[in-house]
Amino acid sequence: MTSETPSLQPIVPAYHAQILEDAQLDTLQSATLEILEQVGIHCPSEKALKIYAEHSAVVDFTHQLVKLPRHVVLEAMSHAPRFYTMGARLPSFDLNLDGKTMYCATDGCGVETIDFVTRQRRRSNKDDVAAMARVSDYLSALSFYWPIVSAQDFPATAPLHELDASFNNTVKHVQSETIMGDWTANYAVEMADVVAGSEQVRRARPPLSLLVCTIAPLAQDRDGLESALRFAQAGLPVGFMSMVNIASTGPATISGALVTGDAEIVSALVLMQMAYPGAPVFHSLLPGSMQPHTGAYLSSSLEGSQLYPIGVELAHRWGVPTLAGIFGTDAQVPGWQSAAEAESSLLLCALTGAETGSGLGLVESCTLLYPESILLDADVYHRVRIESSHLDTSSEALALGVIKEVGPRGHFLAHKHTRTHLRQRQFSNLTGQPHPGGGFRDPQDVAREKIDWILANHHPTSLDEVQKAELTQILAAADREAGSKTTR
Amino acid sequence: MPIQYPPLEPLRTSFRLRFLTDEQLDSLQQATLQILEKTGVRFPSQQALTIFAEHGAQVDWTSKIVRMKPDFVLKALSTIPRYFLLGARQPTYDLQLEDGVTYFTTDGCGVETVDFDTRQRRPSCKADVATMARISDYLPSIGFIWPMVSAQDHGETAPLHEIEAAWNNSVKHVQSETVMGAIPCRYAVEMAEVIAGSRAEMRRRPPFSLVVCTIAPLVQDTAGIEGALLLAEAGLPVGFLAMPTLGTTAPATLAGAFAMGDAEIISAAVLMQLHAPGAPVFHSLMQAWVDPRTGGYISYSLDSRTRYAPVEMAHHWGMASLGACYGTDAHEPGTWQGAGEVALDPFLAGLAGADIVTGMGLSETYTLLYPEQVIMDDDLYQRARYQLMNLDVNQDTLALDTVHAVGPGGHYLGQRHTRNHLRESLVRGITHQLGEDGKYRDPRQVAIEKVDWIRKNHQPEPLETEKQSELKRILTAADKEICKG
Repeated sequence: MTSETPSLQPIVPAYHAQILEDAQLDTLQSATLEILEQVGIHCPSEKALKIYAEHSAVVDFTHQLVKLPRHVVLEAMSHAPRFYTMGARLPSFDLNLDGKTMYCATDGCGVETIDFVTRQRRRSNKDDVAAMARVSDYLSALSFYWPIVSAQDFPATAPLHELDASFNNTVKHVQSETIMGDWTANYAVEMADVVAGSEQVRRARPPLSLLVCTIAPLAQDRDGLESALRFAQAGLPVGFMSMVNIASTGPATISGALVTGDAEIVSALVLMQMAYPGAPVFHSLLPGSMQPHTGAYLSSSLEGSQLYPIGVELAHRWGVPTLAGIFGTDAQVPGWQSAAEAESSLLLCALTGAETGSGLGLVESCTLLYPESILLDADVYHRVRIESSHLDTSSEALALGVIKEVGPRGHFLAHKHTRTHLRQRQFSNLTGQPHPGGGFRDPQDVAREKIDWILANHHPTSLDEVQKAELTQILAAADREAGSKTTR
Repeated sequence: MPIQYPPLEPLRTSFRLRFLTDEQLDSLQQATLQILEKTGVRFPSQQALTIFAEHGAQVDWTSKIVRMKPDFVLKALSTIPRYFLLGARQPTYDLQLEDGVTYFTTDGCGVETVDFDTRQRRPSCKADVATMARISDYLPSIGFIWPMVSAQDHGETAPLHEIEAAWNNSVKHVQSETVMGAIPCRYAVEMAEVIAGSRAEMRRRPPFSLVVCTIAPLVQDTAGIEGALLLAEAGLPVGFLAMPTLGTTAPATLAGAFAMGDAEIISAAVLMQLHAPGAPVFHSLMQAWVDPRTGGYISYSLDSRTRYAPVEMAHHWGMASLGACYGTDAHEPGTWQGAGEVALDPFLAGLAGADIVTGMGLSETYTLLYPEQVIMDDDLYQRARYQLMNLDVNQDTLALDTVHAVGPGGHYLGQRHTRNHLRESLVRGITHQLGEDGKYRDPRQVAIEKVDWIRKNHQPEPLETEKQSELKRILTAADKEICKG
């Protein structure tokens, strides 16, 4: 039996904040341009190097180094669209990136799962991707789906199996962060065609997009770039994310790390626009900090939560939408730390106008799936969503007539105004849940039960049988090709 | 041994978020004025009613309801100072209220403590107030002291014992939220004078202030109001805190609850100005919700929107604001709920420009003290403090020469620039403390140990012996008069 997917509840902030002054943003942008022109970017893809060379970049084919004069960068970036639509299987779940609304997705791509039934920690698999796609389909906080963990039971073609599991279990837009290389991207585009129904729809309402990570400092990944080029050719949105690490793969100062990461992203966006002018692209800058004692990557520190919103402002300075970093806690289990690290950064990303953000549902720096984590994060999300919306000061809301009727020392319980409006107040469905024996239940227990309920009861509109069969055929072909590549 | 004091670390920011438009603030203010004129506020105090009547307010002596016209309200409020000073035992800890700076304090007044040593839950006592004052004295995030729990081992004079414990264990400003009534307040003023050294100095750098709660809907407390009048007369800052609950003691709409709570506060502020024009008075409004299923009090609903709009309302009246942070409904520190409900608070309070803010350190809706809670709330505070800072974008921080030297594919570990800046590149909170196994430690355990460390190592500069004796003498007199009475 099919169940209806609840409507999306994106963040539509009533307020706006600007962290950096225009002069500071100009300085950062100038520094990025200087790095691109004078230091350059390592680009180990013959195909990409040729495109750069054909569009007036200075290319050192021996060292695979590209330097981009300022005017070349600005000319290429002028073609990038500021607003576009990310499509969904059902049109009512399309995401209109209009600069006024923030849509959020799950985190990815974890490698371990706390099993849904046994609660034992184990390697992630395709079933996990499918189950969490179904949970995400149900949650109004999630507007699109990142395959949240890796389908490690399909090692050679895991990214494609992740897409298959996603398309089969949610009607929402799917964004992959694992498809790498031209041949894998070809299959992914084929799958997007099946879901969209036609090339025309695929371009107008792309149901699939791709995020590619750069390699700090100042390098691109060959497979990443080549899959991105294939997506851009197909009109599917593609974004680049830098996770430059302060003091190890980037300078030890925040500004230095920001411009290093920005240069990586912009060099790739420029490539996409040179090859396919007007291709929908997005910018994603998520600097981390190096733990000085261990060298480990930390996605959160006391001052770190300002970094992601600054990434949002930089993206807009370049005239492209952003994928903001949200959630992504360093906590090892869901709890105080995971909530403490998430909230104000999410709010600032919303207030600075982020169009999209990803990061709900994983712990241990985006690697470990606790199924209930997504519900805890969704609760935090809704707190921020509501916090950023406006206050109603109409005469009905001011209720002066009611206050006069009740007067000093009275109470409002019996008043019709109270009955009408109390229903409209929004309470968490995790906190404040009465315990049968008195007191309140642990919100994490409530979240675990709710996950079980969703998995037992929510079955989103499925793909039609022909589409399912076609996706299976594409996967089979990809598995065969991967097998032959391994054999060779 | 000289006492090492970390400097205060208030929230300082050039960022500002406006929750309400000028039109919305005007609408709310008009609504408040309308409530004060048409509905009125009940003042069950002969002294207060007389003051109102003498100044031309419409007083109904039978119902004890006071109604006042908008012009009357605005004229009275015109003498309120927007900024003033909260003095401290040590002048370096004086808090000069000013735009762009927000000072925090602890929560209060809890009634139970999870014992520092046995970890058993028990009624709170004076020693808890003293210990937490000492911990608050150490923390740079805490600008002034609220006695966190009730000194229940001292019966009716508990509030005076709480402030004595606070002054004996901290050099910072002390603000009480429990001293009620003319007699206790007279003793509190005497104690403040001892701390200040003279009545003139007490007025100039008041080391003591008071928060008085109103009673929703639209009622004042006799003892609260009469105590506040005495403090205002002495030049000690006094604030009024409305805590309307949507759906029971207030309309079920936020704007209605705000306007009604505001009317309670403003009516009291007007009274203070009529009695002592120019007295430093602050405004505080903390709304809550009723759980429709149980009637229970909820500090944080999912819709806690515009929690800091009351700060803007205070400023719209030209008054300083005591903002509300923390105060989670969670039953224990270190839980998801304990952060999920409150993590935005200090950041938003800073963005809204609150002058002073209360709330660190209690669980179970301001009633239960877990000693480590204040350290965990301090961590959230520090996150906000950094977020509200400006980013340095200059030649040194951009590090373009270093980027050039490293080039694509290198690393920054060996660079002089990295060595110079590494120490400041990661600001560690309690979440990133490494254990012996190389993993990050449980933040709550780190917080528990930090409390123990402060208790063991931080001894605030003691109050001069004569002042200690004076305070004791005043307490003895108060015990005699009040307990006997």
